[in-house]
Amino acid sequence: MKIAKFLLFTVPLVAQDSFILRNVTIHPVTSADIVGGSIVVANGKIVELGAKVTASKSIKVIDGRGLHVYPGMINCATQMGLSEVTSVRESNDTNEIGEFLPQVRAVVAVNPDSEHIPVTRVNGITSSLVLPASLSETGRGAGTGPQSILRGQSAMIHLDGWNWEDMAISRNAGVLMRFPAIVTRRAAFGEGAIGTPIPYNEAKKTYETELKKVEEFFDSAKHYQAAKMAKAAGFKLNVQLDAMIPVLEGKVPLLIAAQKERTIRDAIAFAKKQNVKIILLDVTKPGKALDVIKQNNIPVVVGKPTSLPEDEDDPYDASYSLPGQLYKAGIKFAFGTYDNQFARNLPYEAAFAVAYGLPYEEALKALTIGAAEIFGVSNEIGSIEKGKSADFVVTDGDPLEVRTQVKMLFIRGKNVSLETKQTRLYEKYMNRK
Amino acid sequence: MIKSLAFLCLPLLAVAQKQTTVAIRNAKIVTISGPVLYKGTVILKDGLIEAVGENVRIPAGAWIIEGDGLTVYPGLIDGLSTVGIIPPPVITPTTTAPATPPARGPEDRPRTTSWERAADKVRANDPRIDSARNAGFTSVVTFPTAGIFAGQGAVVNMAGDNPSKMIVESPAGQYMTLAGAGGQGAARGFPSSGMGVYAYVRQIFIDLDYYEKTKAAYQANPAGKQRPAYDRALEGLKESGRLLLPAGSKVEMERVIRLASELNMPFVLYGAQEGYRTSEQLKQGKVSVLVSAKWPAKIPNGDPDAEESLRTLEVRENAPSTPAALAKDGVKFAFYSDGQTPVEFIKGVRLAVERGLSHDDAVKALSLSTAEIFGIANRLGSVEKGKIANLVISKGDLLAEKSTIQYVFIDGIHFVPSPDAAPATVAPPGATGRRPRTGDQK
Repeated sequence: MKIAKFLLFTVPLVAQDSFILRNVTIHPVTSADIVGGSIVVANGKIVELGAKVTASKSIKVIDGRGLHVYPGMINCATQMGLSEVTSVRESNDTNEIGEFLPQVRAVVAVNPDSEHIPVTRVNGITSSLVLPASLSETGRGAGTGPQSILRGQSAMIHLDGWNWEDMAISRNAGVLMRFPAIVTRRAAFGEGAIGTPIPYNEAKKTYETELKKVEEFFDSAKHYQAAKMAKAAGFKLNVQLDAMIPVLEGKVPLLIAAQKERTIRDAIAFAKKQNVKIILLDVTKPGKALDVIKQNNIPVVVGKPTSLPEDEDDPYDASYSLPGQLYKAGIKFAFGTYDNQFARNLPYEAAFAVAYGLPYEEALKALTIGAAEIFGVSNEIGSIEKGKSADFVVTDGDPLEVRTQVKMLFIRGKNVSLETKQTRLYEKYMNRK
Repeated sequence: MIKSLAFLCLPLLAVAQKQTTVAIRNAKIVTISGPVLYKGTVILKDGLIEAVGENVRIPAGAWIIEGDGLTVYPGLIDGLSTVGIIPPPVITPTTTAPATPPARGPEDRPRTTSWERAADKVRANDPRIDSARNAGFTSVVTFPTAGIFAGQGAVVNMAGDNPSKMIVESPAGQYMTLAGAGGQGAARGFPSSGMGVYAYVRQIFIDLDYYEKTKAAYQANPAGKQRPAYDRALEGLKESGRLLLPAGSKVEMERVIRLASELNMPFVLYGAQEGYRTSEQLKQGKVSVLVSAKWPAKIPNGDPDAEESLRTLEVRENAPSTPAALAKDGVKFAFYSDGQTPVEFIKGVRLAVERGLSHDDAVKALSLSTAEIFGIANRLGSVEKGKIANLVISKGDLLAEKSTIQYVFIDGIHFVPSPDAAPATVAPPGATGRRPRTGDQK
């Protein structure tokens, strides 16, 4: 704060879409807050920010007196643009069938006109991770027959754009994997339904068979990689195995849904054996595996803090307090909503974690820069810093607070409309004579 | 052993006799209905107990069993079983049978076979009869068990080659289940949910009441009246006279007692493993219960990492103390095998004894109490004059781990326990029942 007061900047260049946002309290997240500051945006990037910034007289001025600026939040588990109404088949483009599909790309399937996008972003969420398959098909309720293991490439996108090329921040932010698990209960349908148990030795055998299959696939990918490197004679392109090369090189992580201790341990052991990077998704009850996660420096996207505890005797606040525990254990984590319909509630999910032991500053970081770092896009988004994409949100207060209103929203420097399907319906029925 | 060999010659005179007169003398007699006789004599004649007492004259020509070191108990009764009813073999249909349309409502009498009688289904060649007898079970109360109103039970003696002669009492009550069938799509029929089952049970009793009234009115004066339609479901229900209702947990017991109190028919709860929590209520409601001796256990080959809930562990820990709690509060209860083998069943009862139930109370819950619950205490359940000669004679306390069953009498006929249950003895030929495992086979 002290340093910020003495900063004085001038903006040399006036780009077409450039503007200066004045008189706002800036919360850059990566540095101290700036009271009464200004942000200059040009060509979709933040070019200057500080307490005193002078800009060219011709630049467009937006006055934000009394308002706060936060970096746009990142929802780390959605199917944004891939699924509109889950029960309407035509509006879904997810969950490809096949065992190993690392070549399937979620990014190309993103529908920029999805109604979920405006609804989500007006709560201050400007980016989201798009998973190529739903986790319900990936992790929970397994045991219903042969299932896909590598589900495809996920993407990190801006929640605004004319097409997916515009929206993409990272076209391959991680390959989603359903890690084989020892499933000792058959899937059950309906409220409160409990599946019939599967004998442990039988479940373990299934798991071992599946794991062997996975290892064989990774082996063949390694052979392919070696052949390609060696420019071996008769080498033939194989899109499936080719898509594994960035994973094997450690450039792209595997995203593994692992709720409980056993799967977490197994997944980490697998990652070590294969020497690949992983990010754990939907971690809900890590138990003693917390230490293993920390030792191996595995980033985590926590399960929804507002979800119910996993087991009957778990404390009522098991899910609320997990992010706080991860923080205390020194584990890098982010938040996700694991759906589209309620993706807008991301800040409130984090707010629950704050009420149950996560320091407020850490929650804000996990929603912004923390998430960006985990998915390797922190040079683009995640904080209000010079040179980064101008993805920020202008509010009348704390974005984790339900009453707070988003007054303006900028994505890649564009002042995005706050109109949503809900506001349109509101207008429609208010104007009914 | 030597003693029993000595008996070999004696009853040879009585070869033609189906039943001999038997006298067990100087034995400890746990009569259940009265005090224990420490040096008593029991006389069995014509399939009945002719006399019990300390100063009983032994009739001439009786087969005398020296009872020193032996204890005489009434024959054990399994309070709820399917022994004697041989399940039909599973036949894979070669052609698909035309599907019966799912039930739409109570008028279709879904999952109801209330007219079926165990007495008509009992077969003497069920191998389970042998093993029941070897463990000291001289009678079982056997039931058809499929459906909401599954059918009428029968009290069956575990001896004989003619099922008609094995039946002691029929009907012994209506076996009921209260679970919704569930099911998806076309297979889904009424009632698929618990609330549907309850509604159906209430409905059928309302129907029964109306049926009785219209029938009575018609019989009194048929002229000028439309005759009421015959309804076998209601006829079967009326006949059964007693309902067996399932209730394992506290909430189920409360719910089922409330339902049963509306139904205007005597009822017995079966299951009752959470009886340790409800004995007070059961006592106040004067409810009789059949306690399953199949105590909740950890599932074999379960997931070692799965967390068992406190609730599960609590019930598992406390369920075997249910009989002791019921005995303490004076609730009438009896044991049933719940699909276990007789050996497992006795093991289950033994656990209840370890948890505070007295040995003789446990025997009572396997004899007289069972007989009382099914209204046959005037015939079975104790060592009393005039009752059916069903006895089990053991060396040591009957339910104790180290005890051995020496003699089993059913309808006065002597059965020799199988070699694994007790050392082989030679039975007097005239006094043996069908297919006894005799010494000459060894």
